[in-house]
Amino acid sequence: MTSSAPKSEQLRDLYWRSEILQVVYWLHGEGLGDLVDMDLIRTYLGVDALENLSTYLNLLVADGSLVGDGDWYALSPRALADGEAQLATAFTDFVRPVRNECNDECWCHTSAAEADACARSRPGARPDHAAGKANA
Amino acid sequence: MHDTERSDHMSTMSGVSGDSTGTLPRHYLKPCLLLLLAEGPSHGYELLEHVRRMGIKGAEPGGLYRYLRAMEKEEMVSSWWEPSQAGPARRTYVLTEHGRKGLNESVQSLRDVREILVTLLDRYDTLSTRAGASRS
Repeated sequence: MTSSAPKSEQLRDLYWRSEILQVVYWLHGEGLGDLVDMDLIRTYLGVDALENLSTYLNLLVADGSLVGDGDWYALSPRALADGEAQLATAFTDFVRPVRNECNDECWCHTSAAEADACARSRPGARPDHAAGKANA
Repeated sequence: MHDTERSDHMSTMSGVSGDSTGTLPRHYLKPCLLLLLAEGPSHGYELLEHVRRMGIKGAEPGGLYRYLRAMEKEEMVSSWWEPSQAGPARRTYVLTEHGRKGLNESVQSLRDVREILVTLLDRYDTLSTRAGASRS
């Protein structure tokens, strides 16, 4: 098992489904193609073997995210239509604040107390952050 | 139980296929990507085109995708889905402060390598000149 995949089965399912969907969305967004097969997904995910890849793909087909045609898969019309809205929420872990940074949505902008809490939660945050940007 | 091997670290990834980078320093893709992102936010395909122009002719999208994900996990790069009115959402990548430090370190390392190469080339040129003079 990969070190970054969750250990529990349920979370692992969510993890891989998210990883697969991201690859398909990424390829689509970059104009690199709309069809994927298992080999291509393995290449993008950097996995030599993922036993349940076909299971995950079938789950994505079953929930209407992908459409399958033989060995090939593509985003479903519904997924494409809903994609823009879903992207903002489905992959929120990838828009989280990074080291010494926070985004415009961060609660730290709302009050000095939140700014302090935000700074405390992120060791190494900029000194001015703890002072509360909301008061600036 | 999954039997998955995944390259989670950049140290195990080249991001390129074939041997076209045989003459370039190992992991040359890393400073290339960091530099490109230091110049400004970018998208996957755009980065791919640029790294190819910077000498990594064998750069392929799957490797680039994994490399960007790995850099994101190392907090050198941050990214988000950027909806577009003209087309599908694309992932926008930006350099973090941590990434900027990584770029500085990579560049310093490349400067050190350049010094070593210059020394070797100077000695070679001196030898060639001497050999030419003795023949004439």
